[in-house]
Amino acid sequence: MSELAAGTLTTSVGEIDLRRGGRGGPVPLVYLHSAQGEGEGMTMLEALSESREVLAPLFCGFGTSEGIESIDDIEDAAFWALDLLDRLGLSSVDLVGMSLGGWIAAELAVRWPERVRRMVLVNPVGLYVEGAPIKEIFGRDLSELAGELFADPEHPIAQLMRALAQFDADPSQIPFDLIRPVLQSQAATAKVGWNPYLHDPKLRRRLHRITAPTLVVHGSQDGIVPRAHAEAYVEGIADSRLEVLDGAAHMATLERPDEVAKLVLEHLA
Amino acid sequence: MRFFSFHLMPYPDLPPDYDGPAWITCPNRFYDPELGGALYNRYIDELLYAEELGFDGVCVNEHHQNAYGTMPSPNLIASILARLTSRVRIAVVGNALPLYDPPTRVAEEFAMIDCISGGRLIAGMVVGGGPEYYSFSLNPAHARERFAEAHELILKAWTEPGPFEFVGKHYKLRYVNTWPRPVQRPHPEIWIPGVGSLETIEFVAEHHYAYMGIPYFHIDVFERMFKMMCEACQRQGYEVDPLQLGWLVPIFVAETDSEARRRYEEHFWYFVKRLLPGINISPPGYTSVRSVENIMKNAGTFALNLETWEQVVSGQYAIVGSPDTVAELLSANIDRLGVGNLLGLFQLGTLPADDTRRNLELFATEVMPRLRNAYPGVDRLSTAGATAR
Repeated sequence: MSELAAGTLTTSVGEIDLRRGGRGGPVPLVYLHSAQGEGEGMTMLEALSESREVLAPLFCGFGTSEGIESIDDIEDAAFWALDLLDRLGLSSVDLVGMSLGGWIAAELAVRWPERVRRMVLVNPVGLYVEGAPIKEIFGRDLSELAGELFADPEHPIAQLMRALAQFDADPSQIPFDLIRPVLQSQAATAKVGWNPYLHDPKLRRRLHRITAPTLVVHGSQDGIVPRAHAEAYVEGIADSRLEVLDGAAHMATLERPDEVAKLVLEHLA
Repeated sequence: MRFFSFHLMPYPDLPPDYDGPAWITCPNRFYDPELGGALYNRYIDELLYAEELGFDGVCVNEHHQNAYGTMPSPNLIASILARLTSRVRIAVVGNALPLYDPPTRVAEEFAMIDCISGGRLIAGMVVGGGPEYYSFSLNPAHARERFAEAHELILKAWTEPGPFEFVGKHYKLRYVNTWPRPVQRPHPEIWIPGVGSLETIEFVAEHHYAYMGIPYFHIDVFERMFKMMCEACQRQGYEVDPLQLGWLVPIFVAETDSEARRRYEEHFWYFVKRLLPGINISPPGYTSVRSVENIMKNAGTFALNLETWEQVVSGQYAIVGSPDTVAELLSANIDRLGVGNLLGLFQLGTLPADDTRRNLELFATEVMPRLRNAYPGVDRLSTAGATAR
């Protein structure tokens, strides 16, 4: 397996951080990341790139991607994704979206269904489901949050989060270079997801517009997004099905790369 | 030199076994409305007493859903003070502009207070604390631009003839035509509180407003903050006026140093250990990354980390002692910081009414006269600079 190559793409809002690699498949596969901004060195993407051309852009405010000042809400994010496809000259793609990225994928697919051939949403946010609230991700104790994002407490990111939590009383002890990207990506997530909290009240009644056959993956141990959200997506999207990944937590694309890659490839085949 | 008595109107009766934050999620079943009513009236009396004792002004401020400061609407308290006082400046420090939609509400209410008081309002404008963005579910990533836009709208409402249309990103108003208008022309003196964020300091300097350093940090942090303000004014092409700088600090005076500590210390710790937890939450996007870096350098000296009284004394988190001690410490810091406004918190945490009144009396009779002699000066910050821009 080889790592995706780092690069940039000029879009209407500025330079975007874009990783790409691999070849094959009827259309390119675009991976939209979660609020963690994952992409670099990601095992799952490398696995996918063995048989597919994979593109992994970073949303505004993540990594070196510019243009967050042009983003005010999730609709702006959908237009950002559309602009990205246009700049890449892609009339149709397969979309794989993780959490926040799943939400952006769905917002794109309800507006421009013809641009999405097939779609996989992994623990997506984006909907409001009464009685099944999405857990707070902002302002949380990081060691607690780590336990909800990751099934394995020894995952490197979970370990890092617990280490950072030690400095809660005096954050001046943390090297600032370590938290700068976290601050930036959280601010970007807040821009689209603070209120309404990680959902778009109009999205559910638009889901019927999606034509792409869609697989919704839910991690049975997801501490952030309840299963009812995955079910609501499946209920709203005509050609869709639910796959429950037993024992997986929220960050399933990081923790269970091989299984998720297998599900993705099967669905996109 | 101007002397202000600042009141937070804290809630002193959190259950002893509660160890959670005093903000956002502090259960409101802890609030006893009967006690709350008695406290409001007592605290208002303490502010009124400051006028009787010869202070130049009184200060109130805005916080929501918390036990630290129970004035979700400082304008309600300020309007009572406007009616019941006749001389003191009434500083509302401030209204959290992004929480008012449309913010012409602030222009209206401040103008009402200015009219009722005969032009004694000091109009404080703040972005609102981090916790407020949770309590209002207001997007913190829009905090700064909403504040800037609301500020522009309020100033226009006060200084430009209405009706006019205002079309901003966050506020779109077809008819801005604020009744009443403020007595003070072109507008009331404006204060902006801050914790050292560079954007805020540059904004204050640019508009010739006054900057109030928010307390609970080591005294060195204030020195750095006010130095930043002086430099920002110089970049704007003028020297800072001491009346543009305000130092907010807890003060307690008793007959002797040991008596002062004995009467005060437990109340100070209630404030630090029970009322401050949660105040420092900084929601995503609330402050620019550059400013976070700057503010974080000071985080270790935030009062929440205090453990011993010796740290309180050496960092001058509170000025506590005999009249001689308090006068000397204040005097040394006024020189060091170059401030023209002293904002004293004479009631803090659980400090009871009789101790608060005695504190105010001793300060006013034994300390204030000495400082007035040492620092004579004008009592009103010119707003001419603000209009000349």
